[in-house]
Amino acid sequence: MKNKASVVIVGGGITGTSTAFSLAKRGVKDIVLIEREGLASGATGRCGAGIRQQWGTFQNCLLARESMKVFENFQEVLGTDIDIELKQKGYLLLAYSEKEMDQFRRNVEVQHQLDIPSRLVSCREAKEIVPFLNTEKMLGGAFCPTDGHANPFLATKAYAKAAERLGVEILMKTEVKAITVVNDRIKGVHTSQGFIETDKVVNAAGGWSAQIGEMAGLHLPVYSERHEILVTEPVNPIMDPMVMSFSYNIYCQQTPHGSFIMGYGPQNEPRGYNVNATWQFLETMARKAAWLLPPLKNMRIVRQWAGLYNMSPDRQPIVCESEIVKGFFMGIGFSGHGFMIAPAVGTLLADLITGSPLTWDVVLDLGRYDRHETIAEPSVV
Amino acid sequence: MNDDKTIVCRCEDIDIETIRKLIDQGVTSLEEIKRITRCGMGPCQGKTCGPVIAREIAMKTGQPMEEILSPRSRPPFGGVLFQEVLEGIDDEE
Amino acid sequence: MITCDLLVIGGGPAGISAAVAAGKAGLKVLLLEERERLGGQLTKQTHRFFGSVAERAGTRGIAIIKDLETVVAQLENVEISLSTTALGIYEDGVSTALKSGKMIKIKPKAIVVATGAFEKFLPFENNDLPGVYGAGAVQTLMNIYGVLPARRILMIGSGNIGLIVSYQLVQAGAEVVGVIEASPKIGGYLVHASKIRRLGIPIYPSCTIKKAFGQDRVVGAELVRLDEKWKEIPGSQFTVDCDAICLAVGLNPLIDLLGQSGCQFKYIPELGGQVPIRDESMRTNVPHLYIAGDLSSIEEATAALLEGELAGLSAAKQIRPGQSLEARMEEVKTHLRALRSGPVGEKIRSGLSKLTGEALPTPSPRTNAIDELSRTGIASPANLAGVLPDEKRKKTRAYAVIECYQQIPCDPCVHNCPFGAIKPFSDINDLPIVDFDLCTGCGQCIGRCPGLAIFTVDETRDGDRAKITLPYEFLPKPVREETVDLLDRSGKCVGQGVVKSVLNTPKQDKTTIVTVEIHRNLVQDVRQIRVVQKS
Repeated sequence: MKNKASVVIVGGGITGTSTAFSLAKRGVKDIVLIEREGLASGATGRCGAGIRQQWGTFQNCLLARESMKVFENFQEVLGTDIDIELKQKGYLLLAYSEKEMDQFRRNVEVQHQLDIPSRLVSCREAKEIVPFLNTEKMLGGAFCPTDGHANPFLATKAYAKAAERLGVEILMKTEVKAITVVNDRIKGVHTSQGFIETDKVVNAAGGWSAQIGEMAGLHLPVYSERHEILVTEPVNPIMDPMVMSFSYNIYCQQTPHGSFIMGYGPQNEPRGYNVNATWQFLETMARKAAWLLPPLKNMRIVRQWAGLYNMSPDRQPIVCESEIVKGFFMGIGFSGHGFMIAPAVGTLLADLITGSPLTWDVVLDLGRYDRHETIAEPSVV
Repeated sequence: MNDDKTIVCRCEDIDIETIRKLIDQGVTSLEEIKRITRCGMGPCQGKTCGPVIAREIAMKTGQPMEEILSPRSRPPFGGVLFQEVLEGIDDEE
Repeated sequence: MITCDLLVIGGGPAGISAAVAAGKAGLKVLLLEERERLGGQLTKQTHRFFGSVAERAGTRGIAIIKDLETVVAQLENVEISLSTTALGIYEDGVSTALKSGKMIKIKPKAIVVATGAFEKFLPFENNDLPGVYGAGAVQTLMNIYGVLPARRILMIGSGNIGLIVSYQLVQAGAEVVGVIEASPKIGGYLVHASKIRRLGIPIYPSCTIKKAFGQDRVVGAELVRLDEKWKEIPGSQFTVDCDAICLAVGLNPLIDLLGQSGCQFKYIPELGGQVPIRDESMRTNVPHLYIAGDLSSIEEATAALLEGELAGLSAAKQIRPGQSLEARMEEVKTHLRALRSGPVGEKIRSGLSKLTGEALPTPSPRTNAIDELSRTGIASPANLAGVLPDEKRKKTRAYAVIECYQQIPCDPCVHNCPFGAIKPFSDINDLPIVDFDLCTGCGQCIGRCPGLAIFTVDETRDGDRAKITLPYEFLPKPVREETVDLLDRSGKCVGQGVVKSVLNTPKQDKTTIVTVEIHRNLVQDVRQIRVVQKS
């Protein structure tokens, strides 16, 4: 293990590995990535793995579209032969009120500015896309055929391998114990394997990013929340897109392997690090899924689990360098959509760390909360 | 037992050569192997292949079995239909 | 939401025993069993149990379960839910289960998990061909559904399951082409090994399977010898023809349900692999969560019965304090310690010491008296000489020959001699010693020996005729004055004899006691008869 590094990245999920790759690709040497367990063992490996470009703010649409470009050309961009099982069969968003329909209408306009090929759909069109969809009470929806799904573990592995090829040292089963800060500057990282001298740390610790912040003496405005998910046995392909509703509160997708993967946003979930599954989730999920997608009634749930959403005050990512502790960078608070924008986030963090101008004109800094400039993204589960 | 065609995971049809190649590439945890190959994600949920793969990892890396075999916690064991979950709710209401 | 004092998951010996103990202590118990009847593995165990007579040794598993069913049915506060599969134990103390097409929720005050074990798998080429079975599946097909899975079977593994299932396959009319064992020694009880050797089934120690042959189904197997370091010996491959390969290579505790209960585990190969951490009273580290049976350590059903009782009593003590249950709990612990005290319990003892962190037990003294027997399943001449009376005594009266050379926890013979001729044990692992002054050669002990290791010999008559009486558990049964083939300890036909008596009353419980007149030179060689099939 190196005892000196130019950058220490904390977290071996999609954000950490994507950042490691972007940095190394720009020629930064002596990068060390530290992962407490294994690659994608936190939220990345537990997520629904959808990739959506249908957002309501220009900035989110931009990050998602730019990320999708990377996912679409993954093998070429990374120089890897790993197939991340990208499936682009769309996202079908369902509207249950005029207000929601109006929102979709505005969203589509924003999306069109970035050439995202989304469109509004009627109930009849929605049924053409998913014939067994229950359109009762539904007013219509929005559909983007290039949205999709990829295998988060393979994507993380590909990023990690590409980064290693470019010289990044990745330490698994290594835990950060403390971060040394002197005169508001990062001086090093104490790990379970020893001390690494460095002046730059990247907090990509997902569910545990608040704890990493504490180690640097920072109180980051993020917390973690359990979100549950389940998967069914595989069946023949019967449903192309991810079906999602913000108001009915559900997402459901058939993976290329044939299994259905689904979840919903929990109500009144306490903050914390608990990732145990609950029987109540099975009941609520069954009710929701069976009503919206009736044929699922006869499918078998084979596994349920949970992961941590790292929530920020405006449910939007925080990607910046700390203004208090120099050299402390962060890609945190993804609030459930870290996977789909990770390629762009890696690029932005590489911009920040190398002192380059941001590749895209986005505002994701921590200071936005003090400036009362929170991002008002209308379309989240 | 040195032939590629030996099946380790009968649920997902994964052979031992695939597993050994991954271990050689440095993929040395059950969780990672599971996510890459789907080994252990089938109907038996890794009951048969888990110990076999763990032994392969132990043989190749010298890691103790105790560290390799971390108990997983993913109910519902044996699986349950959505319909069966719903019937259980209806019964109480 | 269903509520109860105690939820018992698993209706095998451990689970029933826990439910009975807790039920007798006044708890409202709900017992879940996945199958349509109680009993778990007991329902397939057609052989007689070893262990202590106090724990029903000498009785067949299928009879034990009938008794247990009767006992549990009489307890009004114990509800049995059959065809009910536990799905999960959740952090809020609620368990879910699938019953009659519904996911039910149960909130008990305590839980005993007794889910048993599942069979280990062996990687070899073509192991996914139809015809590769787990021993449990073979036993289920044969003994529960009456279906013979194949005609010519190769058994992999010489533990008790491999040996017992081989014997049962022959009883069901199949041929077992061999039992192979990777270790240099037979894994199971040697009396079981001797039982199948005298049927002519070869046992190959230091041997493993390389591949199965066949396109659509198994037609044979390639085997290879192993050296003392368990490495394949090049060029030692040989093939056998068979239409099924039966895997009996051990069991792993079925811990899945405990995965998110907060229960801690430890990897202890001696106990079967990853096992829940628990104390001597079967309590896990999670309050109100108890375990019993193969889930806690892979052992014989007798241990499961005792552990189940202990778990049930522990739960009762916790939920309804103030009852005097400690005395019985201590008694059960003492029984368990005795059961595990002999040489065959050494593995379990060392595993348990790892669990509790206690110092390793002192190993049992080693002798080489049964080395040959452990490799071959055939007693050595020295073994035999040690259990025979002197020449003078042989002439005066018939006598029993107890071919029980390995210390195993088992005592029915001692309790079944009407003349007290088998010396009382100080330890359940003692070897039986016959007092030939008291032994009349009556043969009462023959059918009570779970290992079918007792024979009586009558060589009191002048001339070259003598009689041997032996246990016989096959069909067709011989009839009086029928001429039968005489088989030695390796199954070789060494001559013919005439059946003089066939004892087959309900008291024998299907172990027919057959007396055959044979040449006196053969009395110490013949250990099995074969009814000559009439064409």
